[in-house]
Amino acid sequence: MIEEIRAHVAEKLQELDGVIGLRRTAEGTAPCLFREGDDLSQLELDPRYPLASVVSLLQKRYPEARFGIAARGCDARALVEMAKREQVDPDRLYLLGVVCTAEEAEECHCTDPAPDPAPWPQAEVIGTPVEGAPPNPIVAAYEGTSLEERRMFWQGQFLKCIKCYGCRNVCPECFCEACALEDKVWVEPGVLVPPFPMFHLIRAMHMSGRCVACRQCELTCPAHIPLTVLYDLIRRDVEDLLGYVPGADITVSPPLSLTLEDAPLRMELE
Amino acid sequence: MSEPFEPRIVAFLCNWCSYAGADNAGIARIPSPANILPIRVMCSGRVSPEMILRAFRSGADGVLVLGCHIGECHYTSGNHRTAKRIPLLRNLLGYVGIHPDRLRLDWVSSAEAPKFAQVTQEFVEAVRTLGPIAEEVGV
Amino acid sequence: MEYQNIATTCIYCGAGCGLYLEVLDGEIVGVLPAKEHPVSQGRLCIKGWNATSFVYHPDRLKTPLIRRGDAPSTSSGHRFEEATWDEALTLVAERLGTVKAESGANSIAFLSSAKCTNEENYLLQKFARAVIGTNNVDHCARL
Repeated sequence: MIEEIRAHVAEKLQELDGVIGLRRTAEGTAPCLFREGDDLSQLELDPRYPLASVVSLLQKRYPEARFGIAARGCDARALVEMAKREQVDPDRLYLLGVVCTAEEAEECHCTDPAPDPAPWPQAEVIGTPVEGAPPNPIVAAYEGTSLEERRMFWQGQFLKCIKCYGCRNVCPECFCEACALEDKVWVEPGVLVPPFPMFHLIRAMHMSGRCVACRQCELTCPAHIPLTVLYDLIRRDVEDLLGYVPGADITVSPPLSLTLEDAPLRMELE
Repeated sequence: MSEPFEPRIVAFLCNWCSYAGADNAGIARIPSPANILPIRVMCSGRVSPEMILRAFRSGADGVLVLGCHIGECHYTSGNHRTAKRIPLLRNLLGYVGIHPDRLRLDWVSSAEAPKFAQVTQEFVEAVRTLGPIAEEVGV
Repeated sequence: MEYQNIATTCIYCGAGCGLYLEVLDGEIVGVLPAKEHPVSQGRLCIKGWNATSFVYHPDRLKTPLIRRGDAPSTSSGHRFEEATWDEALTLVAERLGTVKAESGANSIAFLSSAKCTNEENYLLQKFARAVIGTNNVDHCARL
């Protein structure tokens, strides 16, 4: 499959200003912008980096340019949510979809391991999508846990946090210039996570309607905190209560800032 | 005999409806519990998750958010956002082991002084049963 | 229109975590953790994530500065003035020589840093011991 992707990119580079993907050099594999004439044998598909953020960066620097991206399902979902919030322009983006293998899907507990071309004016998907993997067993078993068990679990987890802000830095949906996590009124500077975990709870609330389960936060956490468990639970609530799935449909606006008429709540109000 | 636990409740009250309702309860001499620390905001939609979490972090055993009834918001749809935000935050609290009933959302208009008294009374008793927040999580 | 990630090592502590400098058209615009690095494995601490914040900082030193002049703009009544490397090094050599002659080698101490390379640290302690003649060498990690 990788050869097919490289060939596709080479072809597309004749009409695009560049394609965002991973380049392998002697020092490692990292995101870069491939231009026409570049050696495409260096294009790789892993390790996974937040490529969606690179699209936003480049499109803003070059408002007239047309870029492509070799994107997995998670990248594509992240791009959908970024497009809704005007961080990415879908009309100037060509999406070359890359499917994940069954092993990769299982590693990420990914229910949707293939990019959806539907939201994008120009897109194609290489490879045959595989079935989604079952959810994280911790999430699946959550209903059966008591408040006490949950408390003990998360206290132990948050105790390890070193407040590196890696989860926020790497998240494709975290692009706010004035981040609440940097406001000392909410998150006390100079103190690691207090017993009442303000940082993590604020981040989880801000992820509602945004998190597309790309798993980059958990992959970059030096303390190996299973952040995605919390975000998966919130995402499930957003779907149950508001019928919204982040990354699924580019025409549906995020519900939290809309009125009840435009985005109803599936709950008794009074 | 030890004293009963008196919960400390922070109540975010919107200027146009629930704060006026609270005021009217006082004027009409309808008793409401003294456990309530009222904070007036212009609209319940202004109450962000950060504010509610900060209240808990500062030691509130319970947080009450009272807004205008849906359809009566002074800013038309500010309370629509509250209606969506609070259930998500309640669930999140539950996911990390803090009892979701420590956060309650209700709608009280300026003419509903008795409802204000009733809601606050009920909420104080509910939180009393749950116990101090320090037993669930350090503050 | 050039975007690439340049592999490097964090300059802060001794762990030596791998990170990428996100460079857009010759300008550093961000940092990414190096996922294949055997030490850091795609994770960084807060210093690593902000390892580039000094690069374009307005307070960053660009030339040697010598404190002199009578302008009362610092509490000591002196002011930092830009100087050449020759001027600065000549001044340092003269002053250290004077202090050593008047008060002895052990009245001078040397303080090095984790932000220096191993080679720089070696040179500093060599200078202290062989040139000045003192063992008063320490390092910020010991403090």
